[in-house]
Amino acid sequence: MTPGPLGQVGLVLALSFALLGLLLAGYAWWARDGRYVEAAKRAALFSLLGALVAFFALEWALLTDDFSIVYTAKNHSTKSPTWVKFATLWAALEGSILLWATFQALYTWLAARRLRDYWMAPGVLAVLFGIQVFFFAVMLFVTNPFLPVPNPPTEGPGPNPLLQNHWMMAVHPVLMYLGFVGISVPFAYAVAAMLARRYQTWIATTRWWTIVAFGFLTLAIFAGAWWSYEVLGWGGYWGWDPVENASFIPWLLLAAFLHTALVQERKGLFKPWNFAFITLAFAATVFGTFLTRSGVVQSVHAFTEGAVGPVFLGFLLLVLFVGFGLLSRVGSEVRDVGGVELLSREGLLLGGALVFSTMAFVVVLGTLYPLFVEAFTGDKVSVGAPFFNSVFAPLGAVLLFLMGAAPVLPWGRVDAWARRAFLWMLAGLVLGLAAALALGATVGVALGVGLFLYNLVSAGAQVGRAVAARRRQGWGAALLGYLTQGRRHFGAQVVHAGVALAALAIVFSQAYRVDVQKTLNIGETAKLAGIEVRLGRLHAFDEGYRFVVEAVVEAKGIGTFRPRLNYYKTMNAPLAAPSVRYGPTENYYFILQAFDQDAGKWATLRLVLTPMVYWLWVAGGVIAFGLFYMLLPLGRSRRSVPGGEVAA
Amino acid sequence: MKGKYLIGALVILGALGYLIFGGLSQSLTYFITPSEYFQNPGKYAGKRVRLGGLVKPGTVRFDRDTLELRFVLTDGVAEVPVEHRGTPPALFKERQGVVVEGRFKGKVFYGDTLLVKHSETYQPPKEGYTPEEVRKLIEEAK
Repeated sequence: MTPGPLGQVGLVLALSFALLGLLLAGYAWWARDGRYVEAAKRAALFSLLGALVAFFALEWALLTDDFSIVYTAKNHSTKSPTWVKFATLWAALEGSILLWATFQALYTWLAARRLRDYWMAPGVLAVLFGIQVFFFAVMLFVTNPFLPVPNPPTEGPGPNPLLQNHWMMAVHPVLMYLGFVGISVPFAYAVAAMLARRYQTWIATTRWWTIVAFGFLTLAIFAGAWWSYEVLGWGGYWGWDPVENASFIPWLLLAAFLHTALVQERKGLFKPWNFAFITLAFAATVFGTFLTRSGVVQSVHAFTEGAVGPVFLGFLLLVLFVGFGLLSRVGSEVRDVGGVELLSREGLLLGGALVFSTMAFVVVLGTLYPLFVEAFTGDKVSVGAPFFNSVFAPLGAVLLFLMGAAPVLPWGRVDAWARRAFLWMLAGLVLGLAAALALGATVGVALGVGLFLYNLVSAGAQVGRAVAARRRQGWGAALLGYLTQGRRHFGAQVVHAGVALAALAIVFSQAYRVDVQKTLNIGETAKLAGIEVRLGRLHAFDEGYRFVVEAVVEAKGIGTFRPRLNYYKTMNAPLAAPSVRYGPTENYYFILQAFDQDAGKWATLRLVLTPMVYWLWVAGGVIAFGLFYMLLPLGRSRRSVPGGEVAA
Repeated sequence: MKGKYLIGALVILGALGYLIFGGLSQSLTYFITPSEYFQNPGKYAGKRVRLGGLVKPGTVRFDRDTLELRFVLTDGVAEVPVEHRGTPPALFKERQGVVVEGRFKGKVFYGDTLLVKHSETYQPPKEGYTPEEVRKLIEEAK
């Protein structure tokens, strides 16, 4: 047995059992017979085993340098370090679809194990198996990584060097796919709910999955920003590149869904919104893949392989058709009775969800606009970061404002406590704004500081109120009781504080960025952005799979930096690997721009100072912590916290 | 009561529409070649433009102390003098396809971003190339 045939067998097994599961679930629905549901659940396990066989077959080929299949022949190199070999599985198109499909099989199996509701089960299983059939069929018939190579080479080009430059690249795609695939479970439940005409319970049942998916997506986006910052050598973390946008659109729509789902869970309102948002969020994951894998838009890190594009476009249309077709069929049954008070928790939550979905619309528009312009006028244009920034700044400010206000309000009305809390929050806003203006900040930065304090006051007031409501047990027990039983409430406060911190870090890093360049001779000292910098030496060495030119730079009072240029055989341009040092307020980022190739006597250095960027990474961790804290198994979470209702 | 909400919603939608479509038309960056520029210079005056073409041999001047890079960008028919602040990328050389992002000020194009168009198969075009060929070459090279 060699990896090639083994992988083929795995794919065929996975596809067959997914197809079987789909048929069994469909028959169970048609015949109203629970025994077929049980059989379909068992098919999920065998489909997962098939997917794992294919996964391990590809890892086997990569780790043993087997070039007899197309995937290794195109993307593998014997010279890569072991971790790169392992991660090469998701470094190109076919492998990343295999990873996606394997996670899909895993989630289907996990979701099937937790399925209790026999009205919903056939629909949920049919949708999940349907998605699985799509992915395994794409792999077998469109982009098969296991196709044999007639004359296997003995050495290949290796994966894209950009992906080998940082360990984060082994983690980021895995997190991203865990998030993408996670959205399919609430989507499947939504379809099943519309089929079974049971519109309420699916929200509470899928809460766990939604938060898991949102947590992984959040981690993946922050990991991607970090990679962009530490690897791409341009001194930024977010460039509104189509691939970045492709990951951001589902995140925004899932955020909208999370907040309206909360209202349905507690008040039974917004049912149509929830069906629409979850359909759009899942469709956005397919749209992102279509966008970046079909070559319709240019991007720094799109794989651009044409054949997959139309297939994903078709699947995208199918998802939208199923979601919105069913919604229009049951539309009259799910309509909300009565109006929504604007100044109430549900009113502001809907407002927030609308801001999130507007942001998603803006990202889609900005990404696709060049295509429209070219189709209608023939002009080649691009929409740059200034457009996205100019729209996201005001929308973000509105969002931050709503984020602080919504959770202090009670359902359906405004009460005295909310009024008092809001006055304190406004005081925080004004204080931050005035202090920052007095210190010479721009209005935008001052508003960022003000909104940060506003949200901290909001979170603090809510936590304080919830703990104080339990004070009869004694303060220690009150805090412990709140942290365990009120963990959804506490987790939400942590997430919101993290978002406020991230916004503050983005504002500062954008407003006070310094970017300077200078050419220095060896041994020469000069001032860059007020820092005394000495170019110590310049040396070159071979690391086997790449050739390195490194500059040793001493920055007075800060330390030694080693920015380098990495030369890979497959690329005719070197990749600049920056040398980064994080501090609580300032962040130093040295790039080796150019050097004297004849005699090694001089080098051009670039120094980028990005204040507070460190806190952006911290904020990512805080948000993820808050999300996963909600899911901690610490005994039963109470539906409401005394003195403060559950906020998430 | 309903009318009040409707007006509020219209005001918000109007502001959003202005924000989005005003922003789009302002931050559109056209991708042009020098001859396309000279066909209609008024259209691109003061706007951000991505100018694509080949580096004309014998025109590259780089001052490594002030980091000023000067060269002439050509598409075979028209030529534009370019001034760019920053180190030339490693692959920057004569007859190479490049894209400079920046603005026209008078006759000179001031760039702030310089991209070298390259791929494994990149070949400088043969003598007597046309602007269309140059454009195709640059669009195809990643």
